[in-house]
Amino acid sequence: MTPSNFCGRTRREFLWQTGGGFAGTALAGMLQRDGFFNSAARGAEGPAHQNPLAAKEPHFIPKAKRVIFLFMYGGPSHIDTFDYKPAMKGRDNQSVDVKTFGRGGHKNQGRIVEPRWNFKQYGECGHWVSDLFPHVATCVDDIAFLHSMTADSPIHGSAMLMMNSGKILSGSPCLGSWVNYGLGSVNENLPGFVVMLDPTGGPISGAKNWSSGYMPATYQGTILRSKGAPIIDLSTPEGTSRAMQRELLDTLRDTNADHLASRADNTDLAARINSYELAFKMQQHAPEAVDLSTETEATQKMYGLDNPRTLDFGKRCLLARRLVERGVRFVQLYSGGNHNDANWDAHGDLEKNHNFHAGNTDQPIAALLKDLKQRDMLKDTLVVWGGEFGRQPTAEYAAGTGRDHNAYGFTMWMAGGGVKGGTSVGTTDELGSVAVDSPFHVKYLHATVLHQMGLDPNKLSYFHGGLDQKLVGVEHVAPIREII
Amino acid sequence: MTRVASCLIAALIMLPHCSMAQSPEPIDFGRQIQPILAKRCYACHGPDKAEGGLRLNQSELAFEKLESGKQAVVAKDIEHSELLRRILSKDESDQMPPEGPRLTQTQIDLLSRWIKEGAEWKEHWAFVPPVVLPAPAVKNAKWVANPIDAFILSKLEKNGLSPAAPADKLALLRRLTYDLTGLPPTPAEVDAFLENKSPDAYEKVVDRLLKSDRYGEQWARHWLDVVRYADTNSFERDGPKPNAWRYRDYVIRSFNADKPYDQFVREQLAGDELPETGSDGIIATGFYRLGQWDDEPADRLLALYDGFDDIITTSSQGFLGLTVNCARCHDHKIDPITQADYYSMLSFFQGITPNGNPNPQVERAIFESDEAKAAYDIALKQHREKIDQTQARISAIEKTFRDKLTNQDQNLDQPDMDDLEYRFYRDTWEKLPNFDALKAETTAKMDRPFFDISPATREFSFGFVFVGTLKVPTDGEYTFFVDSDDGSRLTVDGKEIILHDGIHGTGTPQLAKINLKQGRLPIRVDYFQGPGGAKELIVKWSGPGFEQRYLSAMTEEGVKLADRRGKRRDFVTLMKSQGPTILGADRHKEYTALASELEELKKVKPAASYALCVTETGPTPADTFLLKRGNPQSPGDKIVPTYLSPLGGGKATIPSVGPNSSGRRLALANWIVSPENRLTSRVMANRIWQHHFGRGIVRSPNNFGLLGDNPTHLELLDWLANAFVQGGWKMKPLHKLIVMSNTYRMSSQANATAQTKDPLNNLFWRYDMRRLSAEEVRDSVLAVDGRLNPAMYGPGIFPDISDEVKAGQSVPGSGWGKSTPEEQARRSVYVHVKRSMVLPILSDFDFADTDSSCAARFVTTQPTQALAMLNGKFLNDQAAEFAKRLRKEAGDDLRNQVRLGYRLALCHEPDAKLIDRGLTLIDTLQKKHGKTADQALDQFCLMVLNLNEFMYLD
Repeated sequence: MTPSNFCGRTRREFLWQTGGGFAGTALAGMLQRDGFFNSAARGAEGPAHQNPLAAKEPHFIPKAKRVIFLFMYGGPSHIDTFDYKPAMKGRDNQSVDVKTFGRGGHKNQGRIVEPRWNFKQYGECGHWVSDLFPHVATCVDDIAFLHSMTADSPIHGSAMLMMNSGKILSGSPCLGSWVNYGLGSVNENLPGFVVMLDPTGGPISGAKNWSSGYMPATYQGTILRSKGAPIIDLSTPEGTSRAMQRELLDTLRDTNADHLASRADNTDLAARINSYELAFKMQQHAPEAVDLSTETEATQKMYGLDNPRTLDFGKRCLLARRLVERGVRFVQLYSGGNHNDANWDAHGDLEKNHNFHAGNTDQPIAALLKDLKQRDMLKDTLVVWGGEFGRQPTAEYAAGTGRDHNAYGFTMWMAGGGVKGGTSVGTTDELGSVAVDSPFHVKYLHATVLHQMGLDPNKLSYFHGGLDQKLVGVEHVAPIREII
Repeated sequence: MTRVASCLIAALIMLPHCSMAQSPEPIDFGRQIQPILAKRCYACHGPDKAEGGLRLNQSELAFEKLESGKQAVVAKDIEHSELLRRILSKDESDQMPPEGPRLTQTQIDLLSRWIKEGAEWKEHWAFVPPVVLPAPAVKNAKWVANPIDAFILSKLEKNGLSPAAPADKLALLRRLTYDLTGLPPTPAEVDAFLENKSPDAYEKVVDRLLKSDRYGEQWARHWLDVVRYADTNSFERDGPKPNAWRYRDYVIRSFNADKPYDQFVREQLAGDELPETGSDGIIATGFYRLGQWDDEPADRLLALYDGFDDIITTSSQGFLGLTVNCARCHDHKIDPITQADYYSMLSFFQGITPNGNPNPQVERAIFESDEAKAAYDIALKQHREKIDQTQARISAIEKTFRDKLTNQDQNLDQPDMDDLEYRFYRDTWEKLPNFDALKAETTAKMDRPFFDISPATREFSFGFVFVGTLKVPTDGEYTFFVDSDDGSRLTVDGKEIILHDGIHGTGTPQLAKINLKQGRLPIRVDYFQGPGGAKELIVKWSGPGFEQRYLSAMTEEGVKLADRRGKRRDFVTLMKSQGPTILGADRHKEYTALASELEELKKVKPAASYALCVTETGPTPADTFLLKRGNPQSPGDKIVPTYLSPLGGGKATIPSVGPNSSGRRLALANWIVSPENRLTSRVMANRIWQHHFGRGIVRSPNNFGLLGDNPTHLELLDWLANAFVQGGWKMKPLHKLIVMSNTYRMSSQANATAQTKDPLNNLFWRYDMRRLSAEEVRDSVLAVDGRLNPAMYGPGIFPDISDEVKAGQSVPGSGWGKSTPEEQARRSVYVHVKRSMVLPILSDFDFADTDSSCAARFVTTQPTQALAMLNGKFLNDQAAEFAKRLRKEAGDDLRNQVRLGYRLALCHEPDAKLIDRGLTLIDTLQKKHGKTADQALDQFCLMVLNLNEFMYLD
């Protein structure tokens, strides 16, 4: 890279950031990327490819090495899934004074929609889980439930951005970007931050949900598909065989080498030469990573690949496991895409919507947890489950069971990666309308993820627009100690 | 962190500053000391707090006697400087800072050196008015082509370095052509230049390129980065901003016309408040509307201030190189920018109406000339008169019809309105909100043209806006009647007739009499139903020759009452069935003809062009308050428009600009471009330098503050800024000055000595190589294969995006149009910029982030770029086009085809080795892989487009 432009930011800004506390080793990685050490130090041995995603040391010894974020887009209803509300029993259709705020604006009263599923206690911890998640229910002793989540917005667009990037405005890097920025990737043949979408489409705001915002695109999420070529432009065009492409690449490399000869000081040229070799290797490794045929029948069955309902999400859960096995740091899976009932956004018929989405995901999620556990990977793989908000205890419309959005209180859960299983933290009120006991804003969830990954959420910063930007914002945010 | 690592950091912090210095330079207060104080001390001893009476953010305060009788900093006296003693103290109850890690040894050394050297509290260079020095004397005066070279060479000589040799003609031509136009030189241009041995050959090329329209397209894009240009608003719908592209075209035209920069800034900030700027003055203010905004924010008030923040961030960083945005919640932690400064800046923008798409407030009609505007006004008036006349004839026939009906049949619903639409909203209010600023839940046409609240999806906490046309049959006095539960407002012809706001039941109807002219007038009703109770909306009117009639749908009660009086008839049905009998066939025929004539007339409204622009609420904006901790719910002191304190401050004098706006933006614009402003000219001169050399003299072009980079050549920057202003703020002469310098014309070849001494090329001992920008990559591919369509201006184009990429959208494909192949081959600056889906070939190569001002793009190298360049559809299609061109232009001889391929892409005659390598590839692909000659040539072309030499400039 030409030393002039330090990734668009200035050297001074990066150095300022180091003064602000970013780990020295990460700094060294970044300086190396900039060619800071290059000219003199590397001159003799010739420039090597400098990968900005090269593995970096964390701030402290991490509990988790990787994250799988199961994003239930649209906002699953907490009181119908994991937040048991016995006080609502028998109160269906009752009018109640309760402050709510959703896409239908603010309301001061509403008609109760009693949770539509039965709850049972599971595991040694005796956590209550509804009949929507009979499989996940068998894993509760590995799960820490966060029953008092809150977010700044009950509107999809801004709420999605908040859950993914910590801000209600677009333009900030996502959680996966921060993790890769802080830690790099341990497999340069695969992207460090992978997103797998629902077959019905992406979530609202599309690519903004895996954007690296003001950071370089190196840290943005890469879409990985379970059908066709797993990564965009990964397969050679029709009529081009791999051997043929190799011929082209050889000519390209030789010609580039001649061009480089009189410009040996420019490590960017060498890096670009190398990036073609990496791309070529990626073409080989990525398809291997997504090839499920090597999985045993039992495994495939466990994930529900034999059932059309669970086939898609099961496939993606299994892919997630294969990817983290191969060193991908951050995998995000969307359950639900597009709009309305194509995701968990149950404004109309709650039962139909949630039966559908829970039915598609319950078995695969449980399989993922169990599979990780049996491979002894759950201990250092952090699994996060939840949507951008929860749902209201009252009906949205004059008729029907549809619930509007609720960011005042909702449930998310984590498992593995050093999280204490069988625990629950925080509560909502008896209707589940608002977090009452130890409310946790989204930023605490983010802080917990970073902390488990060995990153200090209050130190991991990036200088932009005159400020040390952090995922968790300006004020000091502690991880959720109760569950770690 | 290990000890080794922390030592490494210490060493690194020193490195860039030491790398070229031979002896320790004196401590730079702003760069080395102030950041330590700010980070570790300000929390208790800074702008917000003064524990123990100590403030360290201002010099006079730091040297004062403290409450303890001691003094924090005593110049040249380490012993008596309490600051240092407390920092070094081993006593936990005494040591500073009381929390967090101790200061590092490096920081302590810096502080003590600073005190020893005299504790100089030097103002940051950017806040001091520039001093224009003459070009310095140099030893090698021969090398100096213009003063730029003298400034550069002087520093090189001081550091024992010499400038690189001149670049060869070819490299120079390619560099220059790309820098000024973003495109490669054509083989003919290369030949002409190589053959021209006259001394002014280079200058002629410079002049030619500066005159080219391609220049404006290239340099406009740099500016569009700074102003966070995009065509959509982001968030869930990411909808298109109406006519944002006109702003883009305005920028291109301005660069091509060499519009003086001060005028360019004035137009963007206050073109609407300037006399004589015509439509450009309106279009330019689209500047304010380019940012992201949420059409459905969770917190409306916060969103309003986020919008102001976007404007403050962009203007302060863009025009002034200051991060005023950092002072939104508290005083700037490092720069002397107070929170009051932030809200003062906000007060200049206070009157701006909120964003919206669509929203009539963000658009205005524009005209090429005053004559065009007058012609439009006349056409509009005539059109309106024609419509009103037609309506009068229709109304007259309807009246006759009605009068002739029997009493019983007169009990009918006569629609006195048409084109009625409703917008339904859900929320809880106690008074009518400004519905126009809210996102409607549903927008639909009313089946029957009566105000009807039955589409509400719930019993309470909702609102309606009805907008339609009232058919006024004759001139005269009309009486309107409104009763509602809860609040409502009736507006006719833009005038509020009845306001019946607040929470209340029915039974207190409001009446108003008003004189109306015959014709078709806009009518609107706003209505809300509060958090509980009954809901009702009744609107009626009466007028000359008719008794009270319903404009609203009848209530259930009303329906029952009417039904008791007999069967109600629908006017439209009745007219259809009985019109011919009652009116006579001819009259009825006339009626139906008139009705269809009216429909036709409504469709052919005189066309005008509209521009995305700023508008204000009026001449007197709302008061501005300092928001404590940036919280819109916690207003503090009232703030009046005052200029930024670090740049001299002073209360603004606001010019009077007429009834539409406050004149505040014009005051701000004039202050920004006044020659006394110490930053504006420096910031822009630096940007121009940046895009010629790959980096600014100040490497942080949006941040000239203490956290930004110090200029590597302050005297040069000040000299350039001065030349810029003296030259009437014209950019082309500045470009010419720069590219005519020997500094610009140096080779990019490395030199071992210089590289060891100054690896970052801080001193400009050579020209830095650069990779093509995203647009340059795409445009060059199209230029080389001969498909580049040079058409300029107009709405954004939509090059094809693959389904795989579109699958990431919540509605795959939405908001991405389809352009013809010719349109798709236009320059990248014309590609529609959709915030949530940037064209992949552009985003792959580090297109500017669209959500905030982009001062300098990243230059990343990633395997995904290689994948797009090797396997992507765009590149493969273009490679095939390229091959087609070679076959067409180079004849049948393969060697000539290959030769031309290199010439077009790399701009030079290839040597035999290069040609042979290409031929070998083609041969192998045919012999070993069974490809046809054409297919093999396609692959050769693809290979050429992937070459480093194609992607990089020497």
